[in-house]
Amino acid sequence: MAILASYKKSLTSGCILVGFATLSIVAQLCLGNFPLDLFCFPLNIFVLALWMMLITMMYRDRANNASSRFMLSREATWLSLAIMVALGVTLGLEREPSTTTWPVVLTIFFVLTHICFIVLRGWRNAKGIRWRFCLVHIGLLMALGAGFWGAPDRVQLRTAAHHYPSNEAYTMEGKQRFLPYTIELESFSIKQSENGAPTHYEAQIKVEDKVISLKVNHPYARTLSEKIYLVSFGTSPYGERYAVIEIVNEPWQWLAATGIIMLIAGAMLLFVQGPRKTVSGER
Amino acid sequence: MGWNIFPVWAAVVMVLATTGAVIAALGKSRNVWATALMLLAIIGMAGFIAMLWIVLERPPLRTMGETRLWYSFFLLVAGLFTYSRWKYRWIMLFSTVLAGVFIIINIVKPEIHDQTLMPALQSVWFVPHVSVYMFSYSLLGCATLLSTVALVRRNNDMDMAIEKLLYTGLAFLSIGMLTGSLWAKEAWGAYWSWDAKESWAVATWGLYLIAIHLAPSVMNTSRRWMYHTTILLGFLALQMCWYGINYLPSAETSIHTYNQ
Repeated sequence: MAILASYKKSLTSGCILVGFATLSIVAQLCLGNFPLDLFCFPLNIFVLALWMMLITMMYRDRANNASSRFMLSREATWLSLAIMVALGVTLGLEREPSTTTWPVVLTIFFVLTHICFIVLRGWRNAKGIRWRFCLVHIGLLMALGAGFWGAPDRVQLRTAAHHYPSNEAYTMEGKQRFLPYTIELESFSIKQSENGAPTHYEAQIKVEDKVISLKVNHPYARTLSEKIYLVSFGTSPYGERYAVIEIVNEPWQWLAATGIIMLIAGAMLLFVQGPRKTVSGER
Repeated sequence: MGWNIFPVWAAVVMVLATTGAVIAALGKSRNVWATALMLLAIIGMAGFIAMLWIVLERPPLRTMGETRLWYSFFLLVAGLFTYSRWKYRWIMLFSTVLAGVFIIINIVKPEIHDQTLMPALQSVWFVPHVSVYMFSYSLLGCATLLSTVALVRRNNDMDMAIEKLLYTGLAFLSIGMLTGSLWAKEAWGAYWSWDAKESWAVATWGLYLIAIHLAPSVMNTSRRWMYHTTILLGFLALQMCWYGINYLPSAETSIHTYNQ
């Protein structure tokens, strides 16, 4: 009977995997990339609330709901991790990977849904390793969820800072945008090694009448959600040096950071506590 | 001083490590001499890293050659730790051979040694991120060696050691990956950008997570080969993430291109 149940679960996992792959490929072929812009605030919050409500209802009704029971099973964990691995390998082989394709969006959605189910069950039931369980799973849910649900609200712009004020910037897709403030290069300094490679460079930038110092790895936080980065530099056809500035507005970044810190704490507990007893010799 | 004395230095370290490993492999119980010789080899390797750090005036963690140096060092540490903790008399021989392979690659590929440290790597995250990663790689390397043996010969003690190495390795791998994402936010403005290296890191992490989630269901059954095979696959993905991506077309657009 146990073998039969095991085969039944494997068959269910296989069917879900095939269905999942078919759905994502058909959606990609028929609809093109996922319409990320449609889901910016407040629609993403509304869909997120709806999704969480639906999962909670399904979890409460798990005794009568086969889908909920599957989402709480070990097979669902293996399946969600396996498609995550497949996603990593696929994106790792692509020269210019796109993260707004349907297979990517549906994979992360499936993984998030599974973690949500697991958290609902485990936060009270994970005996002996409750802290570790909560830090790892809730941390992953927050970090991955902030990246997923917050992606439509993330704005990344690039501009070249010259010795005159400008509020013109461009998205990564090359669309023109106008910043609510101007950026101007005050001064630029660079140190180079013997082979000409830059070892250190720094730009003094005037932002909103305030002069800030920008270096690689040292962004300027203009607001709680927006940071200004120095990413590169160049020389204009007239021989004038300019700094390449990136402006990133990411309202969900603090949720992601909290999730990552929780995950680090969970990983430390993974090291301290070690494995639960799964090998027969230790029992 | 620097890389030019590495062949002689490495030869001394390898003689000490190999002698210790052979004594351990031939002995029936834990041997003090084997431990002492391996400890000396580790101190020797640490000494070279410290000297290189001073000479280069930066942490030696940038180039492939430098990461291989740390990997060799941590492999010896992980081998000694596994030997002392679980008394596998032949594990130090395996880890020494593996460390030797990476040392030889460093000797025959001297062009990877470069003194400059580009601005993107000048960060407080640099040392913890790379050294923690290298430590996890060596622990997972030891787990892989044991898993290869466990595939053909069942031994509960060995399975326990593999599980403990896997948990420790995965903990450090996770910390390395997560500190990398915090660093990426400060350097590039995004915690995760699905760059080729990051994508392979997800694949590696996912495979090791599958292994620890498989353990409770398969370890005491005839399907335990699935657990060990996943660990082997995880190690292959780890090699891709570490240096394999440099040979893929996706590396051309990668932002992690400073370690070739």
